[in-house]
Amino acid sequence: MSTTNQPAGPKTATTSWRVVDIVIAAVIAVSSGVIFWAWNSTHHLLDFLFLAFPPSTALVSGMWLFPAVLGALVIRKPGAALFCELVAAMVSALMGSEFGLTVLTSGLIQGLGAEAVFAAFRYRKFNLPVALLAGAGAGLFGSVNDTFIFRWYPEYTTGMLFAYIAFMTISGIVIAGLLSFLATRALAKTGALGALASRKAATEPIL
Amino acid sequence: MSSPSMLHREADAPGQARRLSAPVSVSARNWGWRHADRAQPALWGLDLDIRAGERVLLAGPSGAGKSTLLYALAGVLHEDDEAYSSGELLLDGTPVAQGRGLVGLMQQDPETQVVQARVGDDVAFGAENLSVPPEEIARRIVDALDAVGLDVPLEHPTAALSGGQKQRLALAGILAMGPGLVLLDEPTANLDPAGVLEVRDAVIRALDATGATLLIVEHRLEAWAPHMDRVIVLEPGGGIAHEGTPDELFGPGAVRGELISAGVWVPGYTPAIEARPNTGSSGALLLEAGSLAVARKRGGPVAAGGLEMRVAAGEAWSVRGANGSGKSTFALTLGGLLPQASGTVLATAELAAGSEARPYHWRATELVGRIGSVFQEPEHQFVTNTVAEELAFGPAHAVKPGTREPLFTQPEIESRVESLLARLRLGHLAEANPFTLSGGEKRRLSVATVLASSPQVLILDEPTFGQDANTWRELALLLREELAHGTAIIAVTHDADFARALGANEFVLDAPGGRDGNPETGARPGLLQADARGGASFLGRANPLAKLAAVALATIPLVASMDWVSSSLVVLATILALPLAGLSIPRFLARGWPLLLAALFGAWGTALVGNDSGAVLLDLGIFDITEGSLAAGAATGMRAFAVAIPAVLVLFTTDPTDLANALAQKARLPHRFVLGALAGMRLLGLLIEEWTTLGMARRARGVGSRGSVGQRMRANLGQVFGLLVQAIRRASRLAVTMEAKGFGTNARTWLRTSAYGRRDAAIVAAGLLLGAAATWAALALGTWNLVWT
Repeated sequence: MSTTNQPAGPKTATTSWRVVDIVIAAVIAVSSGVIFWAWNSTHHLLDFLFLAFPPSTALVSGMWLFPAVLGALVIRKPGAALFCELVAAMVSALMGSEFGLTVLTSGLIQGLGAEAVFAAFRYRKFNLPVALLAGAGAGLFGSVNDTFIFRWYPEYTTGMLFAYIAFMTISGIVIAGLLSFLATRALAKTGALGALASRKAATEPIL
Repeated sequence: MSSPSMLHREADAPGQARRLSAPVSVSARNWGWRHADRAQPALWGLDLDIRAGERVLLAGPSGAGKSTLLYALAGVLHEDDEAYSSGELLLDGTPVAQGRGLVGLMQQDPETQVVQARVGDDVAFGAENLSVPPEEIARRIVDALDAVGLDVPLEHPTAALSGGQKQRLALAGILAMGPGLVLLDEPTANLDPAGVLEVRDAVIRALDATGATLLIVEHRLEAWAPHMDRVIVLEPGGGIAHEGTPDELFGPGAVRGELISAGVWVPGYTPAIEARPNTGSSGALLLEAGSLAVARKRGGPVAAGGLEMRVAAGEAWSVRGANGSGKSTFALTLGGLLPQASGTVLATAELAAGSEARPYHWRATELVGRIGSVFQEPEHQFVTNTVAEELAFGPAHAVKPGTREPLFTQPEIESRVESLLARLRLGHLAEANPFTLSGGEKRRLSVATVLASSPQVLILDEPTFGQDANTWRELALLLREELAHGTAIIAVTHDADFARALGANEFVLDAPGGRDGNPETGARPGLLQADARGGASFLGRANPLAKLAAVALATIPLVASMDWVSSSLVVLATILALPLAGLSIPRFLARGWPLLLAALFGAWGTALVGNDSGAVLLDLGIFDITEGSLAAGAATGMRAFAVAIPAVLVLFTTDPTDLANALAQKARLPHRFVLGALAGMRLLGLLIEEWTTLGMARRARGVGSRGSVGQRMRANLGQVFGLLVQAIRRASRLAVTMEAKGFGTNARTWLRTSAYGRRDAAIVAAGLLLGAAATWAALALGTWNLVWT
């Protein structure tokens, strides 16, 4: 007697979250919170670099955006970008953030920027261009929020505001997009992603 | 607010889940499982029958699929397009998928067996997921804690428990679910000998009471074998190799011999190595500790004090002591990885070779050629992508003391890598990713990477934990060779046989705190945990959602307007409200100073670039500060501060568990996501600790925190990556724990009810009033300055 319960054909990727997806997403977000915390206490040391043109501080803002892209690349479920960015924001708020509770709104908007890109590809593509676009999306949404919604920089001229948006979008592409993509491939090589849909990320085509 | 006494049910409990299950039988019919990321099935063609109430020990070489069988029975293996089963696996004659609530599972890593922050909540977690009525859960918590002999208050933080206590807590959580089958996957592999017996006794006592069927996988069989009805030995990739009573299989005979050659720790067996004679100190003195006191954190509590040790070449030391006696901290301090709390750690002229004598002050690249430290978790020390690079890394980075000259030439490095690969039988894995090796291979590699740069002193923390008998023997032989070559070895170990095999002198640390509690790894309070005084304060007893709403209402005018009047009013109101959070000004500043600093940075930036008007106050070349820009700077800084500090009132007084309960019960967010995030947050303290450990583990490999900006950046990114790997591994185990406890379905009950009261209405009203008052005052004084215009 041999009943093999192997499925007849390839199943389409399921969009529902399993427990392991939820918990790993949460822990990626919480680790990001730890990294935010380490970053929080050091990044003002870099401020002198940006004194010449203050909007250029946005060049390192991608550090706040990577959980969204990394979470989505690793978990590959609808809502992963949003969930990871929100929980990371929640952790940094609970640890004490200079942005107070507004960090939750920022997290929501940044997460939506990345989520929109993954949704546009129907959660089927997780290659380098999509990762870079998602980083750009998070940077664009986040910077428009900073400059035109929360208006953290009322003293900036319009030109400076747009420079800020451009810088944060670039930062999103490089730090949140590229680094998250490389990190996902490196994580897949360690076998740590064995329980997830991204387990083969290291051998998938880059483009 | 929430309290265990206010009981509340969200959903109707299915009838069968309310009762404790009767003992369950297990049967497999030609069953097999293939994991998604493997070419070969973990198990194939398994036929098995276990009677209800039977106690069975699963043994076999690593890779025989023992854990896979347990996970399948616990219902945490899922089929998808790459992972699938064959045949049938039945509980009481029905497929395992329908066995929710019948089965409890405990894994090896104590840290990921705990889901909640408080002892009572953690015991309740599984029963809540099975929709057991809260009043019944409250009863079961008391019974379960009693059955495992864990006598701590229900509110006790789970992070403050020792490893053995955590495993007993996990068992209590399983018992509270009332399962008919208990599965234990190496439940004591991470524990010291006292912890092993403590957990073993709790398991046996609890099962004597419930009569549940027991299936256990263990490496070290001695403690468990006498309590088992039957032993089943699995064959790698196949079915059952042998089965019988413990006496039949472990008594002298062919089976015993076969098990021994597969590396199984059969009772009464220690790998035969002639004891190394303790020759006494004969070599040159290398390292000296004098009146040493050690602490995990600079200025933190002293873990052990009054330590004197003189380590000579070719000498072995075993460091023993109970949990929390500061063994690991002592080893890290000797290894030049932690600064001493007081006293001295000095390298002799022989070891220092003319440079600085204090190892802690050596650069990482100077350290690796002199003192090597092997950490308990091998993965903490992996820094490259292949086994061969891993071995070459240390020698390639090692420098001569006090210089930047390489210690080894390229041909020397290559020959060292070749010889270590051969000596440790890792040659076929030279190009493999270190993280993908088996447990025993990882251990051998982590020792080899440190030996590669031939340190004169080698320090190892629990090198034999969780290792099979074959790896144990190889390690012992390898270290004996090193001793013969004149290396000094210090091993923190509970393993008396291992110490004997090394011919080690004994160094015993007294336990200051006794066995309860875990001062060595710290109780980790503070982070993400409401302050004790804050929790008992007026705001501490309020519903978290009311506090969040109040802060949001008060923040609206700050976001809308850039003016110093509304901001100052909110800052003032927050300071006046500090007593409601149980906070004094100094305690507030102790936590809130970074926020103040950030506000000052914001003010400074605006003062520099803001629209200039009025008199120039300070001229810095391109930028200047004028009266106009200074006023704008003050408004910016005050606004930033006002946005930040009301949140301090919330974070000082809000327990994340209460927040999660409120979000799931009152805000109606999906509880799977809320509780998943909460469980992740519980790992935060652990991850911060892991970050620190990673820093030390990488320094021991020669990755320094000093150097050029590029080097530091690379070192930091490497450490971030290491943290992510560990975080995801822990998360995977935590997910198994949660799922095995029935988590993930739609209906559940809640032990703690989240409710609104008058206090909460008053808090929301206060927030609304403050927001309105701030707006009114700014308008009245003419400073209102809408940011969107």
